[in-house]
Amino acid sequence: MVSRRSIVGTIAAALIATAIGIVLSYVIHWFPVQASTQAHHTDTLYHVLVIASVPIFVLVVTVILYSVWQFRVKPGQELEDGPPIHGNTRLEVIWTAIPAMILLGLVSYSFVVLHENEKKPAGPEMVVNVTGQQFAWSYEYPSSATGGAPLKTTQLYVPDNESVHFEIKSLDVIHAFWIPAFRLQIDAVPGITTSYRATPDRLGSYPVVCNLLCGVGHGLMRSTVHVVTPSAFQAWLKSRASASGGASTGQPGAPASAS
Amino acid sequence: MAAKLRAPGLYRAFFAFLLGIAFAAGLTWLVRMATGHSTYHHFLSEEPIMAVSLITAPIFFLVGLGGFDYWLYWASGRPTRPEDHSSHGAHTWKDYFRINTDHKVIGIQYTVTAFFFLFVGGLMAMLMRIQLAQPGAEFVSANTYNGLFSVHASLLIFLFVIPVFAGLANYVLPLMIGAPDMAFPRLNALSYWLLPLAGLMMLLSFAAPGGAFADGWTAYAPLSIDAPIGQDFFSVGVQLAGASSIMTALNFLVTIITMRAPGMSFFRMPLLVWANFATSLLVVIATPFIAASQFFVLLDRGLGFNFFDAGKGGDVLMYQHVFWFYSHPAVYIMMLPGFGIISEIIAVKARKPIFGYRMMAFSLLAIVGLGFTVWAHHMFTSGMAAWIRIPMAITTAIIAVPTGIKIFSWLATLWRGVLHLDTPMLFSLGFLATFTLGGISGVMLAMVAFDIHVSASYFIVAHIHYVLFGGSLMTIFAGVYYWFPKMTGRMYDERLGKWHFWSTFVLFNLTFGPMHILGLQGMPRRVPTYAAKFADLNMFISIASFGLGLTTLIFLYNMVTSWRGGPRAVANPWRGLTIEWQVSSPPPVFNFDRIPTVVGSPYEYGVPGAVHGTFAPAPVPATVGGASRGSDVVHRHTE
Amino acid sequence: MEAASVAHAAAHDDHHHGPPVAHRSSRVEPQLLGMLLFIISEVMVFGAFFTAYFFIRVAQGDAWPAPGTHLPLEVAGVNTAILVSSSFTLHWAEQALKKGNHFGLKAGMLTTFLLGCAFLFIQINEYANIGFAPQDTAQATVFYSLTGLHGAHVFIGLVLLLIVTIRAFRGHYSPEEHRGVEVPGIYWHFVDIMWIVVYTTVYVI
Ligand code: HEA
Ligand code: HEA
Ligand code: CUA
Ligand SMILES: [Cu+2]
Repeated sequence: MVSRRSIVGTIAAALIATAIGIVLSYVIHWFPVQASTQAHHTDTLYHVLVIASVPIFVLVVTVILYSVWQFRVKPGQELEDGPPIHGNTRLEVIWTAIPAMILLGLVSYSFVVLHENEKKPAGPEMVVNVTGQQFAWSYEYPSSATGGAPLKTTQLYVPDNESVHFEIKSLDVIHAFWIPAFRLQIDAVPGITTSYRATPDRLGSYPVVCNLLCGVGHGLMRSTVHVVTPSAFQAWLKSRASASGGASTGQPGAPASAS
Repeated sequence: MAAKLRAPGLYRAFFAFLLGIAFAAGLTWLVRMATGHSTYHHFLSEEPIMAVSLITAPIFFLVGLGGFDYWLYWASGRPTRPEDHSSHGAHTWKDYFRINTDHKVIGIQYTVTAFFFLFVGGLMAMLMRIQLAQPGAEFVSANTYNGLFSVHASLLIFLFVIPVFAGLANYVLPLMIGAPDMAFPRLNALSYWLLPLAGLMMLLSFAAPGGAFADGWTAYAPLSIDAPIGQDFFSVGVQLAGASSIMTALNFLVTIITMRAPGMSFFRMPLLVWANFATSLLVVIATPFIAASQFFVLLDRGLGFNFFDAGKGGDVLMYQHVFWFYSHPAVYIMMLPGFGIISEIIAVKARKPIFGYRMMAFSLLAIVGLGFTVWAHHMFTSGMAAWIRIPMAITTAIIAVPTGIKIFSWLATLWRGVLHLDTPMLFSLGFLATFTLGGISGVMLAMVAFDIHVSASYFIVAHIHYVLFGGSLMTIFAGVYYWFPKMTGRMYDERLGKWHFWSTFVLFNLTFGPMHILGLQGMPRRVPTYAAKFADLNMFISIASFGLGLTTLIFLYNMVTSWRGGPRAVANPWRGLTIEWQVSSPPPVFNFDRIPTVVGSPYEYGVPGAVHGTFAPAPVPATVGGASRGSDVVHRHTE
Repeated sequence: MEAASVAHAAAHDDHHHGPPVAHRSSRVEPQLLGMLLFIISEVMVFGAFFTAYFFIRVAQGDAWPAPGTHLPLEVAGVNTAILVSSSFTLHWAEQALKKGNHFGLKAGMLTTFLLGCAFLFIQINEYANIGFAPQDTAQATVFYSLTGLHGAHVFIGLVLLLIVTIRAFRGHYSPEEHRGVEVPGIYWHFVDIMWIVVYTTVYVI
């Protein structure tokens, strides 16, 4: 009753669908621009995940559609039953083992990417202290970064192609420091300091988003990160230093004393 | 009137409810006076009164309703009125509005109440979508918006998905295992009546000074600690709903373990029973954690404790660990019963035995076990110790395996079957597709490096709805259509049912599919406004969602009209083997004249003359002339 | 639908009044099983509170008890002895009942109940004199929460014991019919064991 032709045809259709799905996954542009080395790794991971998922989804849907097409009750069959098949150990082992392997493969790969994204770079690294409070972000460039007095500001400038280590605190409730263009985020948690490192690799200005509900102003708690050339960055530091007289006084959102 | 006030019922309940508030007022007055609030008008302050009333008023209400009468008699050692089954069954619609110990009545009370909250919660979603239609809209204030999605989620999770499954199971499970009722009928009644209270409490929070609780259904501390009083409506409401589901779970477990019909070994139980067994285990073990998390919040809020006050040495992340240790298992509490429903429907509608019955049962237990080992996948970006992410990611990925086993077994059950593509089956097949999508996006979220980008973005919102709507709600619709004839004794309108399925299926994907892209593009969740570049997709989603909302009206219309005027249903319209189909539709008040005997597996479709349960006195081997018996079982009840 | 069920009510009332007796598919008493499962839930509640304790004391590694405060190890020790002995008197009462000795039952229940009250009284007294408030520090919060949670359970247990005692004095229960004593009894034993855990974690180590 399961005709060879119908099967072959269906398998062909499934393969085509899979192909289309995978092509689509490249055509659709899912992400905002990639502005950090981490972004490249993460997007590749995503594409691998999609490529792994498409066949699985197609498989499930194909079997459903094929059954509907071939096995739906035909006139005169209303009172008939299907064959009493209770199971098949070989099949069950297969569909336990194969997904398990796929999943372990994927999760291991994701750990590789995670490690890539988090490992300390060979070159120099600049520390930027980030402070979240309802409903604004503020930043502090320690002396190590300014070479002079620490600089407190509400603007975020980072030099191109240099690893930045964001050390994030909160003065009140939990916030999340998300830079979609970097594909990175972590919560700003009262009482502890969290951190991540990013290596910007594309000049431009990108949104900084508070991504954890922190009250009525949550939707408006935004900032911008400017990726500029190292020289431009130095220039900016100087201008800021003279502007705020290098003094690190009275700026809103001075980081909470470390705990 | 006085008599009415003395007799258990809604009148007395309402009166007691007022007493409860008065009691709260008195109590706070005493306490505040004792703790020396100097000037007199300080002794009475409405916020503490409101907070305390949240606890006392519901309890008084239940006492008034008569939820405890029997136990109070028993406790005081007075002779308890012998159980004349007068309170059994529903003879008029009024019987649904009193303490009723009949599991069938309770099942319907549960289901109808839950659907009421689906519509309320859904309506809130509609309001949210109006606000989100374009960026910077002023339809509601930011605070109201936060309240809307918080109540939306809380109602749909705690007052819809979890209870509606409990309701359907309440109705069919005792019938399926050949039990005359649940093990503890009075407890059963009580656990139902806690629900309307919990739900109304959450709704009323909109009326509270400062607005509804507005920090999401996750109510993260410390934000929830200094939120306005509306937060207490959540914290206490969740306690009531939680208590209710723990009671029901105990009831199911005891019923399943001690009240199965003779011959019903564990491996002859229908998979719906297995599913509710697994779910109840999850509830009994996990629910206390959310109760505790809300105790912590209430203590911090009310009495100034320091669980989450970093300044005084409290630990903010502890809230998330405790909350998710419940709320991840909770997502399986919201899915496993659905798996049970799908197993019943697919076996009957494909006219084939469930493929790999034992694996189906074991995979449920595997999910229960693994479900407790993955909670921190909700905390990958929370700033917890980094190493925890590794084991949690692995277990999270692995939990897809037992789920996969179920999906593939259902597919194999379809293979070479005789598919009856009516409404319940359509929803089941639709479920297979949409849930697989939701599951796969879940697996992607398990990949830490990727989750770090999309966590708390609209990608999560998409996942949520693919698993909860495309998963749970699809199975719920399937189950309601499937057992509608049994529960109401009427047939639903097949044509409208098909319309409902197709419109829902299409509009569901149009509504929630694009949210994946929004998330990846960088749109955060829980915001009343957003960057201009997201405008088009959001407008599209909003329009689709209104359509989706309207489709639920088809369902509503179909249910109401069919219940009132649909054609009478025969006992076994789907030719099912499980026991609930062997009694009349609706079943007799006491379910059975005689407890049935189970002589075979519940899914022997295609085996000539197979019988699962029979009412014949002596058990007989499954194959000997079972067919005729199987059928006259039906007739004996449908004359 | 009403019509239908009424019809059936009628149809069925003539051949019996009341449901058929359920088949017993397990040797365990439903009430007993229910209580055991409920105790699992209760253990998890304590589990959650111990999680709080764990995060404050172990994960964060804060001093325990908070600097400048002190926990009355000895008084609590005496209290422990009281509560544990109440478990024995309860057991004694149950044995008496099984032997049909109704006086033993009443005496046993009464002593158990009074010992429980003594425990609670000493506990409250301890709060009054301990010298710090839950609002002071996270450690204080955890201390009051764990002991308070347990105190609440003692209170529930006492209510159950009171019920049993009242019924015992009204002449209920018999050597055959002793479940009504046993099931609340299990709960009381659970409360005792839980206290030993709380005592060791909070006071001793
Ligand atoms: C019914 C409810 C339900 C269900 C069943 C699931 C199922 C799963 N969920 Fe989901 N989840 C939620 C409800 C649910 N979830 C909710 C409400 C949230 C948000 C909470 C909030 O923050 O508000 C959430 C959030 C959430 C997160 C946190 C995201 C974040 O906040 O950063 C993660 C991360 O790992 C996750 C993972 C998973 C996984 C791996 C599964 C797996 O169980 C899925 C397994 C199923 C399949 C995989 C499909 C079928 C399998 C096959 C066809 C086999 C082959 C497949 C492969 C090899 C891939 N979920
Ligand atoms: C079972 C669970 C469930 C269900 C069924 C739904 C159903 C829907 N949800 Fe919900 N949702 C959640 C669970 C659920 N949701 C959860 C857990 C969250 C997370 C909350 C948080 O962040 O804390 C969430 C969050 C959430 C958001 C994100 C809010 C934010 O983060 O800012 C959005 C946004 O669009 C949304 C939309 C919808 C829509 C359009 C529906 C629709 O499917 C609803 C359709 C149904 C109806 C509409 C029925 C009522 C219909 C009528 C009354 C007829 C009248 C109709 C019209 C007037 C058109 N939901
Ligand atoms: Cu800060 Cu959201
Ligand atoms: Cu989860």
